Amino acid sequence: MKLQNKTWSVVLFSLVCLVLGFILAYSYSLSSSKKLSGEVVTSKYFEQEERYREELIGQQERNKELENELVTRQQKVREVEMSLSGSEEQYQSLIKEAEDLRLLLGVIPSIGEGVKVQLEDAEYDPSSVNPNDYIVHESHVFQVLNELKISGAEAISINGQRIHATSYIKCNGPVITVDGKQFPAPFVIEAIGDTSVLVSSLQLTGGVLDKLVNDNIVVTIEQKSKIQMPAL
Amino acid sequence: MWLPLLGLILGITLGLLTDIQIPSEYENYLSIAVLAALDTLFGGIRAQLQHIYDDKVFVSGFFFNITLAAGLAFLGVHLGVDLYLAAIFAFGVRLFQNIAVIRRILLTRWTERKGTID
Repeated sequence: MKLQNKTWSVVLFSLVCLVLGFILAYSYSLSSSKKLSGEVVTSKYFEQEERYREELIGQQERNKELENELVTRQQKVREVEMSLSGSEEQYQSLIKEAEDLRLLLGVIPSIGEGVKVQLEDAEYDPSSVNPNDYIVHESHVFQVLNELKISGAEAISINGQRIHATSYIKCNGPVITVDGKQFPAPFVIEAIGDTSVLVSSLQLTGGVLDKLVNDNIVVTIEQKSKIQMPAL
Repeated sequence: MWLPLLGLILGITLGLLTDIQIPSEYENYLSIAVLAALDTLFGGIRAQLQHIYDDKVFVSGFFFNITLAAGLAFLGVHLGVDLYLAAIFAFGVRLFQNIAVIRRILLTRWTERKGTID
């Protein structure tokens, strides 16, 4: 009975030891695994941080490259600007030339000071047999036109009809035809340009005015501060 | 005599090999169980030294304390009261007391033996 009791107690004690060992070892392994997993988490975060850092570095390098590119581009732009400013005068002269050519072609309207020349037939003279002696011919108009062109008129019109580089004037009996349109006397020739130059060139001694007056034509020259001419 | 040692080794092996993950809110139970087991163990050692050791008391106390502590903690979790603190406190105090008693008994014996040798 006593031996049996002792064996029983030993078995129980072993059971207790087993449970104790199990609990101790289990909690130990649990806590250590938790620590391990914590380390794993930390290392994961670390890796992530490292990755982000590398990404950041990459971005910064890209930024630097782009900045360098920007600087070179700006340099280029500056060079282009420099060359532009160098040739600006040239451009301006070109623009002026283009403007002049356009005015010559009559494709743009023109406004400015100018002169108005009116050519009128003389009064009927009973003593004169030939009416050609006192009426305005197309040659007179030509003379005035040429004189005005030579003295730098920008734009010229006859009775409101703009004259361009390829205009033609034709004598057609008592009327003249300008670009296919017939105009009777009196002829009003308007020219835009430097008024003083135009007027003085018309009034040169032995010039256009004298010739016209010689041909018994009533000429009136009028300086105008503003003349408008439409484009063709 | 080898059987308890074998049981201990077997238990440790089982515990180390067990790979069950328990939720973190139930880890308190385990800590309390550990405390209860340790307390009972030291209580048993003390009783042995005081010659009042009883198998039944020891074994029943061992399992009952573990179960009670775990149950208390379970109740505490579900009531929202940290009852496991009470268990930890009680077992902690008893653990220290038991260890202190064991130390005194051992010290007394040592001095007695020294006296007899002298």
